[in-house]
Amino acid sequence: MATTRREFIKQTGTIALGAAGVGALGPKTVFGAAGGATPSKPTVVVLYLRGGSDPLSALIPYGDRTYYNLRPTIAVPAPSGENPRAGVIALNDYFGFHPSMAGLARLYKKGLMAPIVNAGSTHPTRSHFDAQDFMERAAPGVKSVTEGWLNRYLYMTKTGDDSDLRAVSFQPVLPRSLRGQYPALAVPDKDAQSAASVFAGLYGCDDAKQTAKSQEGPDADKPADKESPTTGRGRIIEAGAQGIARLNRLNEVLNDGKNKSAVDYPKTTLGGQFRDIAKLIKADAGLEVAAIDYNGWDHHAMQGGSYGVFQQMMGNVSNTIEAFVDDLGSKIDRTVVLTMSEFGRTARENGNSGSDHGHGGYMLAVGGPVNGGRFYGKWTGLSSRSLYEGRDMPVYTDFRDVFAEVLAGLYGFQADDHQFFPEYDANDKPMGLIKT
Amino acid sequence: MITRGMNTTGLGLGLMVLALLWLCPGGLSAEPMTDRQAARHVLDRLGFGPGPGEVDRVAEMGWEAWVRQQMASREIDNDKTNKYVLEHFPSLAMTMEQVWAEYYPRYENEPPTQEEIKNRNKLRYDLNKELTGSVIYRAVYSERRFEEVMAEFWRNHFNIDQGKDQVQYLAAHYEQAVIRKYMFGDFADMLMASARHPAMLIYLDNDVSQKPLSDREQRMLVRFENKKYQPRSVMALGRQRGLNENYARELMELHTLGVANENRKGGYTQRDVTELARLLTGWTAGRSGDSMMGGGDGYGFRFRESVHDDEPKRVLGMSFRGNEGEAGGVRFIKALAEHKQTARFISTKLCRYLVCDDPPTELIDEVAQVFEDTDGDLAAVYEAILFSDAFMDSANYRAKFRTPFEFVVASLRATNAHMTSFNGTREALRRMGQPVYGCVDPTGYSDTAEAWLDPGVLVYRWDFALRLAQGKVGGVKVPGTFWKDMPKDDPAKLKQALAEALLAEGTQTEGWDTIESALGKKPEPKQAAGMVLGSPMFQEQ
Repeated sequence: MATTRREFIKQTGTIALGAAGVGALGPKTVFGAAGGATPSKPTVVVLYLRGGSDPLSALIPYGDRTYYNLRPTIAVPAPSGENPRAGVIALNDYFGFHPSMAGLARLYKKGLMAPIVNAGSTHPTRSHFDAQDFMERAAPGVKSVTEGWLNRYLYMTKTGDDSDLRAVSFQPVLPRSLRGQYPALAVPDKDAQSAASVFAGLYGCDDAKQTAKSQEGPDADKPADKESPTTGRGRIIEAGAQGIARLNRLNEVLNDGKNKSAVDYPKTTLGGQFRDIAKLIKADAGLEVAAIDYNGWDHHAMQGGSYGVFQQMMGNVSNTIEAFVDDLGSKIDRTVVLTMSEFGRTARENGNSGSDHGHGGYMLAVGGPVNGGRFYGKWTGLSSRSLYEGRDMPVYTDFRDVFAEVLAGLYGFQADDHQFFPEYDANDKPMGLIKT
Repeated sequence: MITRGMNTTGLGLGLMVLALLWLCPGGLSAEPMTDRQAARHVLDRLGFGPGPGEVDRVAEMGWEAWVRQQMASREIDNDKTNKYVLEHFPSLAMTMEQVWAEYYPRYENEPPTQEEIKNRNKLRYDLNKELTGSVIYRAVYSERRFEEVMAEFWRNHFNIDQGKDQVQYLAAHYEQAVIRKYMFGDFADMLMASARHPAMLIYLDNDVSQKPLSDREQRMLVRFENKKYQPRSVMALGRQRGLNENYARELMELHTLGVANENRKGGYTQRDVTELARLLTGWTAGRSGDSMMGGGDGYGFRFRESVHDDEPKRVLGMSFRGNEGEAGGVRFIKALAEHKQTARFISTKLCRYLVCDDPPTELIDEVAQVFEDTDGDLAAVYEAILFSDAFMDSANYRAKFRTPFEFVVASLRATNAHMTSFNGTREALRRMGQPVYGCVDPTGYSDTAEAWLDPGVLVYRWDFALRLAQGKVGGVKVPGTFWKDMPKDDPAKLKQALAEALLAEGTQTEGWDTIESALGKKPEPKQAAGMVLGSPMFQEQ
């Protein structure tokens, strides 16, 4: 029988529940944001590039001849004066970014952005669903863990004062990293949302709007303060009430004119998602964890070099994140965006001008708390001896090291003290990705 | 153990709800179910919810008689359903070879024209629609109600995802030849059929699992790296992925023994997984006349000797000399089906599905014993559950939280909905997080409350409930007969009729007061029906 959520939390979380409340938070916690009793915590935005995003197209070792040998049709030319938009954006004399990443390169130069090379899972699987599961549950090879790592963190550190909008995903179904016992909010589309108001009475929140408002005051008497009902019917009603209250609160913030964005985001789904996240952050709505899925990175064919599918998708990521940073203003000092993908791709291009499932991938970290403007991770080149199984990028940085540093750096949450990651040997030498 | 009985819980703003405990009871309830409750219980659990008038009919004939009828499902006339399926979902009756020919037309041009590509994409989408449509149609309309409930169980137990690679082209055949064919037969047969079905082999990557490269082959690869010219044989090596343990692991963890536990007797180790993967190398799929796959007629299972690992192996204490070829894998899978732990694992899952989320150990013991005694005769195992004391214990009445699929089908049944297309329903299920044949995880969809009770997801149920009643779900219409006794100018009569039509126990339904007051003084019939369907009470079964 698979370990249930509850059993897993029992195994790993009991010590944490008492200890990891507000009091256990790190030095970065600031209380008393304007106009509310809600402590404003930093925000982490997790962007999942689903499908296995190609590391060698994003962080390009243009100083290595082998890169061009391995990729006769999809390599990006070295930087040159002739057509700067087609060439690698050089960041040093070996590495550069894909030309679509101009926005991210600017952030890198401002010290707000850092790439991590050869990062990924210690598990060798090249299966999308296994690799995604393992990463999003932060438990490579351990199938008995069924809750997402972000959800586990939220659950272990929850308090009676949690904001209704502490964990939000602007998509209809939660990404796996946010699934679990903690009631994170997947935001339904507008059509479906209008149904919610009809059901307020049936789910015990006739005055849903009033409930949402009263929670801002010191005398908040919301269901979450009470002990959760353990009965079947009670739990259904509680879940419904939570959904309604959260949606009301969310729409209040999103529709409030003073949270409007002054910058232009790309007119893409991703752009809209980041714009809404920025609104929540600017409004001090208590958003701590946001997660977004960006599908379609499984570029087995026609992946393109300077131009093509990868360029369009990565351009969307880069432009969106740059707009997001602009939009946040000083709030970026307490916000981190972290990108990841389940694995990298083959170093050599395949017969279809694409690449196949690989092993080591890459991560990008953006935000004020990031020690940016430099590369992280270990790099051993592209010779077949240094490749994993002679074909893929190796993994030198366990993605859990990165997760752990983000949780510790932003929230003072020590993953290893809490046995947060099953079967994980904590890295003794932190990378220093997050400023302390 | 939690005490059993009624609990009073205050919720929200003064709402008082009497609710049964979600967990199963430690002992038996003093008060048995009433006849109507029993009728609704079996219709809910074994038939995706009652249709109009059905509770009365089953209460009349007695729940046991109805269950016996459903158990002998082959005797229930199903011509109408079969005819509809054949007419509307032709791929369900095809061999895989035929599906490839019909739905994956060869490109005549090189490179293919836009038209050709578009056509192939359309056909692929058609296939998807046929399979999901057939699953929804049968669940809502088949007279063999219990068959459909069990089909849903086995689809999740032996999960495949039509989104992966070529699984799309094989899933309809899988539904017929693996799930439906054996769901009242022997577990061992279903297990073997799944293990030899291309859909499963591709879904869990066994089709590409091959004996690892030898040292010599590895050296060849290195020698030619960075060379402009590579001999064909070397390029083939580069594409070879070596051993893939995916299926071997899930075969034990999800299909038979359950999660490995070193402390438990019969647990398996990572070494067993790797050895089993080696034992199953060469179990793959092939097309007609493909010499690499050893020839053979028609698309289907192939044992590809050339990539089979023929070294000796040892899995779960069984020895394999290495020269047995395909027979080695067959022998091991048969042993898995007979394993004591398999009996227990499957019995536990069935009890959880049919009885309650946390079934009592005594029940599992009994059922597992029947599984062992009958060598996994599934009909006998179901019977052991359905005629157990626990199944009819009143504490288990409405004790399960409907999955999105159960909710959607129950809503369609309760409203006697007519369906001319399945697109709207398919989309609704996708938004609720449970697309048909679209579970990416090899675990399949869970049927416990814990897996589905998230705030956001309920919103989609409400949306579906309202749109269904208003006739705004694509291809679905609630017929005039459903509304005929629901006058909008007589609120009392309307409410009474809605309660009776949708809630089995009518106005006696526990929690009806809440619904009654939420409906307001002058409810509009369609909105009111939507609200009842979206109410907490309708989410239970």
